[in-house]
Amino acid sequence: MAPSMAAAQPLPSSKTESYVDNKRKDDIRTANIKAARSVADAVRTSLGPKGMDKMISTATGDVIITNDGATILNKMEVLQPAAKMLVELSKSQDVVAGDGTTTVVVIAGAFLKQCQTLLHSGIHPTVVSDSLNKVAVKAVEVVTAMAVPVELSDRVSLVKSASTSLNSKVVSQYSSLLAPLAVDSVLSVVDPAKPDLVDLKDVRIVKKLGGTVDDTELVKGLVFDKKVSHAAGGPARVENAKIAVIQFQISPPKTDIEQSIVVSDYTQMDRILKEERSYILSMIKKIKATGCNVLLIQKSILRDAVTDLSLHYLAKAKILVVKDVERDDIEFVTKTLNCLPIANIEHFRAEKLGYADVVEEVSVGDGKVVKITGIKDMGRTTTVLVRGSNQLVLDEAERSLHDALCVVRCLVNKKFLIAGGGAPEIELSRQLSAWSKVLHGMESFCVKSFAEALEVVPYTLAENAGLNPITIVTELRNRHAQGEINAGINVRKGQITNILEENVVQPLLVSTSAITLAAECVRMILKIDDIVTVR
Amino acid sequence: MAVEKLFKDEATEEKGERARMASFVGAMAIADLVKTTLGPKGMDKILQSTGRGHSVTVTNDGATILKSLHIDNPAAKVLIDISKVQDDEVGDGTTSVVVLAGELLREAEKLVGSKIHPMTIISGFRMAADRARKALLDRVMDNKDDAEKFRSDLMRIAMTTLSSKILSQDKEHFAKLAVDAVMRLKGSTNLEAIQIIKKAGGSLKDSFLDEGFILDKKIGLGQPKRIENANILVANTAMDTDKVKIYGARVRVDSMAKVAQIEGAEKEKMREKVQKIIGHGINCFVNRQLIYNFPEELFADAGILAIEHADFEGIERLALVTGGEIASTFDNPESVKLGHCKLIEEIMIGEDKLIHFSGVEMGQACTIVLRGASFHVLDEAERSLHDALCVLSQTVNDSRVLLGGGWPEMVMAKAVDELARKTPGKKSHAIEAFSRALIAIPTTIADNAGLDSAELVAQLRAEHHKEDSNAGIDVITGTVGDMSELGISEAFKVKQAVLLSATEAAEMILRVDEIITCAPRRREDRM
Repeated sequence: MAPSMAAAQPLPSSKTESYVDNKRKDDIRTANIKAARSVADAVRTSLGPKGMDKMISTATGDVIITNDGATILNKMEVLQPAAKMLVELSKSQDVVAGDGTTTVVVIAGAFLKQCQTLLHSGIHPTVVSDSLNKVAVKAVEVVTAMAVPVELSDRVSLVKSASTSLNSKVVSQYSSLLAPLAVDSVLSVVDPAKPDLVDLKDVRIVKKLGGTVDDTELVKGLVFDKKVSHAAGGPARVENAKIAVIQFQISPPKTDIEQSIVVSDYTQMDRILKEERSYILSMIKKIKATGCNVLLIQKSILRDAVTDLSLHYLAKAKILVVKDVERDDIEFVTKTLNCLPIANIEHFRAEKLGYADVVEEVSVGDGKVVKITGIKDMGRTTTVLVRGSNQLVLDEAERSLHDALCVVRCLVNKKFLIAGGGAPEIELSRQLSAWSKVLHGMESFCVKSFAEALEVVPYTLAENAGLNPITIVTELRNRHAQGEINAGINVRKGQITNILEENVVQPLLVSTSAITLAAECVRMILKIDDIVTVR
Repeated sequence: MAVEKLFKDEATEEKGERARMASFVGAMAIADLVKTTLGPKGMDKILQSTGRGHSVTVTNDGATILKSLHIDNPAAKVLIDISKVQDDEVGDGTTSVVVLAGELLREAEKLVGSKIHPMTIISGFRMAADRARKALLDRVMDNKDDAEKFRSDLMRIAMTTLSSKILSQDKEHFAKLAVDAVMRLKGSTNLEAIQIIKKAGGSLKDSFLDEGFILDKKIGLGQPKRIENANILVANTAMDTDKVKIYGARVRVDSMAKVAQIEGAEKEKMREKVQKIIGHGINCFVNRQLIYNFPEELFADAGILAIEHADFEGIERLALVTGGEIASTFDNPESVKLGHCKLIEEIMIGEDKLIHFSGVEMGQACTIVLRGASFHVLDEAERSLHDALCVLSQTVNDSRVLLGGGWPEMVMAKAVDELARKTPGKKSHAIEAFSRALIAIPTTIADNAGLDSAELVAQLRAEHHKEDSNAGIDVITGTVGDMSELGISEAFKVKQAVLLSATEAAEMILRVDEIITCAPRRREDRM
């Protein structure tokens, strides 16, 4: 194939480092880049505090309104492999940092645009790819140097960064409420023994329709999105509760082996009913004997968790019952209540119970939830009850809260803050182009173009906010050149200010991972020269 | 009279020149397909599945690409097979072997075109391959006796293998991981003892080697999260409920109390089973199947750590590394071999909790935890690391080492060229052709890196005309450089396998003079 390659290239003979490739490969690469860029363009308008939302109607007919890049891309169902990689990229950012899912795609799109021009001017893709890697490494250095350390005790800074993340969402007007809430809930699950790790599974978000987002609250305890089973008039509120989490059922016995009860006459029927009653009664007596007055029953697919009959007896014994707790939730529940699950009535002992001040059923909007508060020796978990006036707002509120939680988690993992509002990107662009001047050859050229690519973030921010992007970006450049490294776009005021003073801050981890992940993804796309269809 | 119809309907036959052409074309097409992935600056391919889900794989591994292709051409299938064999035997060089075989056939095609009999070509190729192997053997280095040097050889080989893969940016880090893992094996080639766990999140640099074993499972509720000096029973048994498995068995009772009794009896059976298991004197129980709530609680009460639903591979490996056996009956505690380890604890990687067994009986076992941005990256990283591990474990056994970067090909080409000059007769054409095919490999490496291959290869040949030259292509700077200074090495075993299997494959395809395609077997119409 070597001779045909040379023939395809009409350029002069000094083709060292020049790009020799055949047509097909060029086409595939261009097609990949185009596809990936169009994905990036689709989410570009939702970047920043004044970014727009997208309405997605899914194949099943559901409608989702969101501003979250990861969610939009996830629902887009793209087929082109390179476009799929951008979707994956956004997901990875979601996993690593939880926020900046739009930013990462927009940066990747801008890098790709530059790659296209570079490839056109005859630079070999591997050279482009290597320079991009250098850019990423250098960029992380620059951003890290800009970062401001933050202490976990500094609640104000944490709240600031959480509200920066929330400001770009539908629920931005509630950021003053949701931001402290997110900070408090994450801080309350941080284990002092391992101060760098947060498991967000310990923060549970319960959604309930009705009310407004204003009514969202942090519950120090547990919330079940379920009714108390009080068909037979059982209590709906218990004080000084002794709570048992049980994994067996209070219903007539059922064996695994197939069985049938043979009834031959009328008197026997009566006896069977009586036996059933006494069987259940004996169980409930055992439960009552330990002093338990709240039962959480695990869902069972094999048989009814409770029957009307057992509910009736439980009501008489003044025991509050919540049924159908999912098996997956048992761990969270037992961790919070600091109790052990009970799998058999024989093991029902007082030491396995959990204690709480109040267990009550609360009406929320049109539904009811069960709240357990004042738990004794509570585990390191929290529950957030999210409210919203309709399902769309509710879902979006949950997603936004998740992002905010992730932001706080990032800060716990890596205790550095950085300015927002396009400030780090423009600074990067400035320092990288300065750096490109000391490099040699093709590399210098590539680094310079990638430095320019990073300006896309402030440019888009300004554009989405209805400002003149060119004026804003050039002024921003000017201010940074004069040494104001924290100058950024203040979208509310529509001008450039010191963004740190405006409290627009974000975790360092979000910025660094956005750049490294975007670079990694673009390099992967660049290296592909063929799409092979396989089984 | 000629036989009119020898074959069944739809069976086809291609003869002589046409058959040979079909084989050549098919084999070369395959070689050209993977050619661009060769070398440190080789490109990747997207494999798009036409099956459900349209899953996408991005890879640079020749064997993976070839394995997934649909191929109809019989000669192309031969090339795919040699690539597979190369993968199984030595793990690396899967692309090189196909490219070399393709180039040999390309040369052979020209010779056949100038009316040289295939058999003459074959015997020329054989002589050439033999000479090439000898040339390699003359220049091979062996540092087995010097532990320090041997380790640095291993590092170099690992880095060379990894440099063509996705891991190239962090190749030092991964080369160290791979070398450490292989050194722990102490000469055995049992790669089973090296476990690779992939966890999305973080970057490739965060990958690490851990002595011991990691199981991606959860510890049951209310059970100890940390155990020292653990006795482990690995089992494959039903722990949900012991069903009476008699077909159609059915109990008839006449009262509720009796149903309750049966239920009680079932529970009792389970309790007995658990008691028997506890009776083994264990403090950790790993089961392949589910452990339901009831036995889980019993284990928790006894202070035993129980792990449910460990996957099959997981428990087999666990049994292997802890030195235990997988048990499924518990009546004879003395006959069951328990596994042991010093410490079991829960660790957190990324967002997930995993169970870590350290100080296991089989000292060489270890786990490599790979971290990466996405599943594409992780899968590809695993493939690359696997290649490196294979090559290293082979090198530990056969410690002969060569330089890389096209050096071995040039050495072989030079020796083969000399042979061609000495050989009288038509064969010498074939031998010369063999040397040209060898040079095609450095040419491809240079082409893939966007370098001027004609210029570079000519320079390289001039360098090699001197005695004992170490010259090879330095892809990074795009010049001819000293490979021993740059630290680019390859395992002798890999190169030898590439040379021999490529020659054999080419020979096999050359011998073909007729292709008979059988009529496809039909499904019988059931109308």
